[in-house]
Amino acid sequence: MALAETLTRPPGGRAARKAGAIGIIANPVSARDIRRVIANATALQITDRANIVLRVLSSVKACGVSHVYMMPENGGIRHHVRRGIDRAENQGLDHFPKVEHLDYKISGTVDDTLRAARQMREMGVAAIVVLGGDGTHRAVVSACGDIPIAGISTGTNNAFPEHREPTITGLGVGLAVSGRVPPEIAFQPNKKLVVRVGDHQEIALVDVAVVTERFIGARALWRTETFRELFVTFADPEVIGMSAIAGLLQPVTRQDGHGLHVRLASEDDARLVLETPIAPGYLRRIGIRDYRAMPIRRKFRPEIGDGSLALDGERELAFNETDDVTIELVANAFRTVNVTACMHYAAQHGLMRNNQNLNQHSSGGSS
Amino acid sequence: MKTATKKKSAPAAFPLDRAGLLKAYRTMRTIREFEERLHAEFAKGDIPGFVHLYAGEEAAGTGIMMHLQDKDRIASTHRGHGHCIAKGVDPKAMMAEIYGKASGSCRGKGGSMHIADLSKGMMGANGILGAGAPLACGAALAAKFRGDGAVGISFIGDGASNQGTFLESLNLAAVWNLPAIFVVENNGYAESTSRDYAVAVDSYVDRAAGFGLPGVTVDGLDFFTVYEAAGEIIKRAREGGGPALLECKMVRMYGHFEGDQQAYRGKGEVEDIRANKDCLKMFSERVIEAGIIARGELEAIDRECLAVIDEALAYAKAAPLPKPADLLNDVYVSY
Repeated sequence: MALAETLTRPPGGRAARKAGAIGIIANPVSARDIRRVIANATALQITDRANIVLRVLSSVKACGVSHVYMMPENGGIRHHVRRGIDRAENQGLDHFPKVEHLDYKISGTVDDTLRAARQMREMGVAAIVVLGGDGTHRAVVSACGDIPIAGISTGTNNAFPEHREPTITGLGVGLAVSGRVPPEIAFQPNKKLVVRVGDHQEIALVDVAVVTERFIGARALWRTETFRELFVTFADPEVIGMSAIAGLLQPVTRQDGHGLHVRLASEDDARLVLETPIAPGYLRRIGIRDYRAMPIRRKFRPEIGDGSLALDGERELAFNETDDVTIELVANAFRTVNVTACMHYAAQHGLMRNNQNLNQHSSGGSS
Repeated sequence: MKTATKKKSAPAAFPLDRAGLLKAYRTMRTIREFEERLHAEFAKGDIPGFVHLYAGEEAAGTGIMMHLQDKDRIASTHRGHGHCIAKGVDPKAMMAEIYGKASGSCRGKGGSMHIADLSKGMMGANGILGAGAPLACGAALAAKFRGDGAVGISFIGDGASNQGTFLESLNLAAVWNLPAIFVVENNGYAESTSRDYAVAVDSYVDRAAGFGLPGVTVDGLDFFTVYEAAGEIIKRAREGGGPALLECKMVRMYGHFEGDQQAYRGKGEVEDIRANKDCLKMFSERVIEAGIIARGELEAIDRECLAVIDEALAYAKAAPLPKPADLLNDVYVSY
């Protein structure tokens, strides 16, 4: 039981109150923006989000996690999760770990996510499962320090969280935090982009787009004529969103020691034009001026003087010529649970076989 | 803030030009001053009936109405002053109506909760919660028959969203693919009952999804967010794309009605709203910071808006009451 603590205790942080405790941050308002109207994007219902949480709870319980801390929210997830747990208890089923919501005043904004991530870090939870889109994951990473995260996509573009059934994500997390999968296999490092506007600093996990709009507004990006530059940590041709532009030009993996910098242009001035899915079902022609590898730790500055920066697909920061704006790629910035590796390790080492007692924190590896 | 070396402004930097931004500010400030004045005047006891103030919610009504023309029709709520002003109803006629005077927009027979001006596409504030939604469907159906690209918009509070009329209207709008838009103004309280207690489904977008409508949630305190999202939703409806729901999360600065003791509010809640969630302050800071509008220009508008309200109040107070003989006039309409 101590293994999970030693694996994940952040520098200076307290140990988890209970060994093997994990956190869950489920955003009730991801997948609610204007892309429901302009692009037929998914609007995952609150009850579905609660069901995802219940599936993750079942999985981590099966791996021996006894205690889960959740972000409090008033979007409804909490009530539906409680009903699910109560139903199981009424039926005498022991499906779920003890679930406790952090105790603070709910703001109904991203501050709730930041606060939960910070608090979970201080408590030294072994991992944080995140339900949300790229924006939610970005908020968690900005505050969770060295605690590894596992992403479940309940947002719109979801370039960062991998797409898989949450039951499996839960199993991967459970196997990782229980120490049954060795940490060098269970966890992987990730790159991030650090954005500075004067003294203000933000991060992005997938992409930073420079656009000409000087207001934040509805946040989402869909007016291609405003796009100017793009910086990405990784570029996957199988995702949608701004990073899809880079992915279709020059794929870059999450592990590669560089990112990609793409300069965009109107179709008239472009050297090539890419048909790109920049939102769900929303393909647009994107003019490309050029692109090049983005090295680690080199500061880039936007070419336009006035505009705004979209972080992971959402306009966040407006800037003008008086601001010093830099964008920098950082390696080994945070850790994620490598669910694929955990599940393959589990299969190869028979961790899920009947003769294994998953509730015992054995060292794993026997087959 | 701008310097001589400033680079040429990029295209599409703001969704509205300078004149549009000034108009938006003037509308929001007029609503705020109208409501602040009513708050003070109501305490004097001269205003008949109930008054529900829109102060704090200006960005939502204004951000939506900036996209509308007179041919577009809206159905408002009991908290309708802001919708009226944003839709272009004359504040003098509104004030006279609230005072029950013969020169009011409904000749003094409606009062605060029944201000209407069909020439401006304002079908009326409404004391019956949830009753505006079917009206908006009717306006949208008429627009569809006429083929004039108009839309019908229903404003609904978070409390009224539980009414059957609202749910039936979502269904009707969906099956007839009407150019109808449902704006849920979620200020967190149904009178004094919190939304968390009273709304089972928790998300208005989920509620819309249950009827096959797309739904969008925005920060209703941010004019630019509302303006941009509403623009896309209204454009889609005009082009035949069908109905949608827009949830604006917002706060109200005053109670449910004037005289409400607001014992249900948290400690410091109203002070926090005034200090940190004032949509007019947010708008001002953004346009000043961007170097588009100077603070002095906004202050000049503030003074003009105050004068408009002064004038409206003086006009209302001096106006005659309806005569007893007018009692049944305008009550029934012949077809």
